[in-house]
Amino acid sequence: MELVKEKWVSKVNILSIGATGEEGGTRKTKVQVGGEDTLPFLHFEGKMPHRPVIACEVLDMVPENWPQAVAKPYSDVYRDPAKWAKKCETQGADLICLTFTGAHPDNNNSSAADCAKVVRNILAATTVPLIVIGCGNDDKDNEIIPAISEAAKGENVLLGKATQDNYKTIVACASADGHAVIAESPIDINIAKQVNVLISDLSFALDRIVIDPTTGGLGYGLEYCYSIMERARIGALGADKMLAMPFIVFPGQEAWRSKEARITKEEMPQWGDEEKRGIVWELTTALSLLLAGADILVMRHAQAIANLKKVINALMNEEGKKC
Amino acid sequence: MQVVKIILYPDKKIIEADTGSDLLDVIQKAGVDMNSDCAGEGVCGKCKVLVKSGQVQTPPTALLSREEVRQGYVLACKTKILTDLEVEIPPHARLDEIIPLTATERETQLVGFYSKAEEVATPDIIAESRIFEHSPLATKLFLKLPPPTLKDNVSDLQRIFREIRRKSSVSIMQTGLANLKKLGKLLRDANWEATVLLGKRNETTEIVLIEAGDTSGENYGIAVDVGTTTVVAELVDLDSEKVLGAQTTYNKQANFGADVITRIIYASEAAGLEKLHNVVAENINELISSLVRAHQIKLGKLTSVMCAGNMTMTHLLLGIDPTYLRREPYVPTANFVPVIRAIEADIKINPRGLLLCLPGVSSYVGGDITAGVVASGICEQKDISLFIDVGTNGEIVLGNRDWLVSCASSAGPAFEGSGVKCGMRAVKGAIQKMRYESKTQDFKYETVTKDATLPRGICGSGLIDVLASLLRAGIIDKAGKFKVINDNRLRDTDIGKEFVLIAQDKTDTGRDIVITEADIENLIRSKAAIYAAAAVLVRNMGLDFKKIKNIYIAGGFGNYLDIENAVFIGLLPDLPRDKFKFIGNSSLAGARLALLHYEALKKINDVARMMTYFELSADNSFMDEYTKALFLPHTDLEKFPTIMQKMLNN
Repeated sequence: MELVKEKWVSKVNILSIGATGEEGGTRKTKVQVGGEDTLPFLHFEGKMPHRPVIACEVLDMVPENWPQAVAKPYSDVYRDPAKWAKKCETQGADLICLTFTGAHPDNNNSSAADCAKVVRNILAATTVPLIVIGCGNDDKDNEIIPAISEAAKGENVLLGKATQDNYKTIVACASADGHAVIAESPIDINIAKQVNVLISDLSFALDRIVIDPTTGGLGYGLEYCYSIMERARIGALGADKMLAMPFIVFPGQEAWRSKEARITKEEMPQWGDEEKRGIVWELTTALSLLLAGADILVMRHAQAIANLKKVINALMNEEGKKC
Repeated sequence: MQVVKIILYPDKKIIEADTGSDLLDVIQKAGVDMNSDCAGEGVCGKCKVLVKSGQVQTPPTALLSREEVRQGYVLACKTKILTDLEVEIPPHARLDEIIPLTATERETQLVGFYSKAEEVATPDIIAESRIFEHSPLATKLFLKLPPPTLKDNVSDLQRIFREIRRKSSVSIMQTGLANLKKLGKLLRDANWEATVLLGKRNETTEIVLIEAGDTSGENYGIAVDVGTTTVVAELVDLDSEKVLGAQTTYNKQANFGADVITRIIYASEAAGLEKLHNVVAENINELISSLVRAHQIKLGKLTSVMCAGNMTMTHLLLGIDPTYLRREPYVPTANFVPVIRAIEADIKINPRGLLLCLPGVSSYVGGDITAGVVASGICEQKDISLFIDVGTNGEIVLGNRDWLVSCASSAGPAFEGSGVKCGMRAVKGAIQKMRYESKTQDFKYETVTKDATLPRGICGSGLIDVLASLLRAGIIDKAGKFKVINDNRLRDTDIGKEFVLIAQDKTDTGRDIVITEADIENLIRSKAAIYAAAAVLVRNMGLDFKKIKNIYIAGGFGNYLDIENAVFIGLLPDLPRDKFKFIGNSSLAGARLALLHYEALKKINDVARMMTYFELSADNSFMDEYTKALFLPHTDLEKFPTIMQKMLNN
């Protein structure tokens, strides 16, 4: 019997992050994502030329809101973002994702110059490509992003996050300093498209954009996020240029925010050890998003990362491709 | 509590009031019609007045600028009177007086009260109004009766019935006791020559009136569009079918809330229903008396009134409690309302004259839409048409002579000027047309009266132009947000960014005419609701916009609507422009047809019965379509190929 195969007319854009010495940067490796011309891992139907990659999350402050189970393994380094990043690299991260939570006015309210310094230190301490994300406060981001972007000039970082209400500064910086951009939308395929249209109206190349569709963690509406990602990807394969971008997702943030990952064994003895539980929660969230089509997964716990890597390898090696 | 004296400027009206009473109430009781979209909730900021002397108690509000507070401006609805007062009511706080149409405006307007002749004089519409046979709701018939003799000794009434049957095919007839009491003497005094007024009352014919002599040449009727915002009345010669005049006024119910829901809620308050009924009846009576005065016709010669309005307006005009219209399962108290005497609805014409309100389809698709459908003629055509009424309720009808389906989407009142800082209705001083000149970077405008009147604000068609111009000029992005531009007309305020379109020295109000980011958001929501509703309706019928032959746009948009701009912002689908026909006030046109042609009335009844109602909230794709349309022109730009091309060329 012959398999019924879906024939798609288009494919996801290929995006390269990180610049090596030859390309004017200082990275030893660079990362390429995207290029799929089929739904995730359907190797019999089409090609997935680049394997999904994992970025490890680093903050510019002590991770006060992280539960102990995930913060403790980094307690030896989390006072120094550069050391923290280095540790992530040794743990096998494909990229480092630096989030400027500490720059938020409610936290340390760090200056643009301080932020730029953090970026420079991390670039000096690591060799893998970098993702840099602002603090999430529009006014503050518009203040720090130019300095951050400038500090990473020529390194082809992935800069985030552009939203419908605040995209102009970040896109202008990325344009000037040769970076790619994360376009965020609130679990809404139409808004995802709208942000991309707005960004491309500033003459920014569509293949330099990554979509952050915004997701929930396991148990928090993940199936809805899954269907939004699937719809967007079907749109991309059906030649909708405004949706043909790779996805970036944040299962680390989402999973470790959930009650199920945060409650300790003392509070809920029947739920068992919280570290194991948290790791499983992060891994399961990440795995679901991987199957929905995620290209870049930003994660936290080393064990969750290692296990997801195994899954990706299994799904991407010759054995896996035969299934 | 004591009695104090209030002087209202500029009218110099002097009234007495109790201390502690609400200023807005007192002003309204004095007969001044105030703008109050929110019905005195203190949230619309339209009832701004200036207290020139005396003491009041008024809470702080964000709706007044610091400068205004310093000058003594207050929101009348939130202000209590403490002492004698002198109060200035600025022009922008008042509802306008009746505006008569000029003869040229009237003559050039075939269908719509507001619309230009070029735009409405389409062959279809002329054909539609001509195929109906002349047969008014109330017809006069002159009778020369043979006097009774010993041989021909049937009663006076029988004699009249017999003569009528001889002249026309009327079968079942009735009349009232009031006529009979006068009949014997009237016929003998008039030498057996009399005129009867035959009214079509449901399935029977009534001899409404018997007059001495031949008065058959003097039979007039009134067609009324009872809109939520505006009431329009037309004086029609029922004999010659000529429209003699048309006049419009604001619906005074606006004092009690801008939209139907607020008014339904108000109707359930003590004496609320009575007040709402009284003010709209008063509106219509004012229009009628103004029309008969202008044309020197006696009120007694007006024999019938045909009203078209949405279901809430119809209920309120008839004094029927509208409460159940907004409660599930949203059932009207009456839809096919029988023909009644006008006076029963407090409408003053001939005391025995008739009044009919046209039937609708559901609680949210009323007689104004069925009238519009018949006036546009889409129910007669073989090809499929789309009818869009761009109003607060955003009703849409799709179909042809075999089937019709309608839906209503809450588009909101932005295109009627409400919820927009410098928005206003299409009356004197309203900008109806605007264009950006890239050379001078100036905004050129034209007001509704097309003369040198200084502008007071912008009406719906003007707002469409503004949105399109800002987008074309690159002042806003496709999400409707202001771009970072070097232009001192763009400024920050406490409540966000705004752009000055016309500087204060060139306006009637002495204040800048601006458009704010919040205004743009409201307009985008309105246009998105209308486009999405049309898209969902068309798709649910298994169709595609391309398969639609004609698109009729109705609405009170000034006397102009720039179709190109309406497509440019994504209010209307991107189809060949010759498919669009702007028909202006189709509700009034339909009411007039029903008044003059019994066949048209029957057609409207048929349409009301055959049209199905599609509930958008029951369709899960509406929200998706709506979000897609919350963009300029649309998230899927490829659905607007000509606009996409224009943007690329730019």
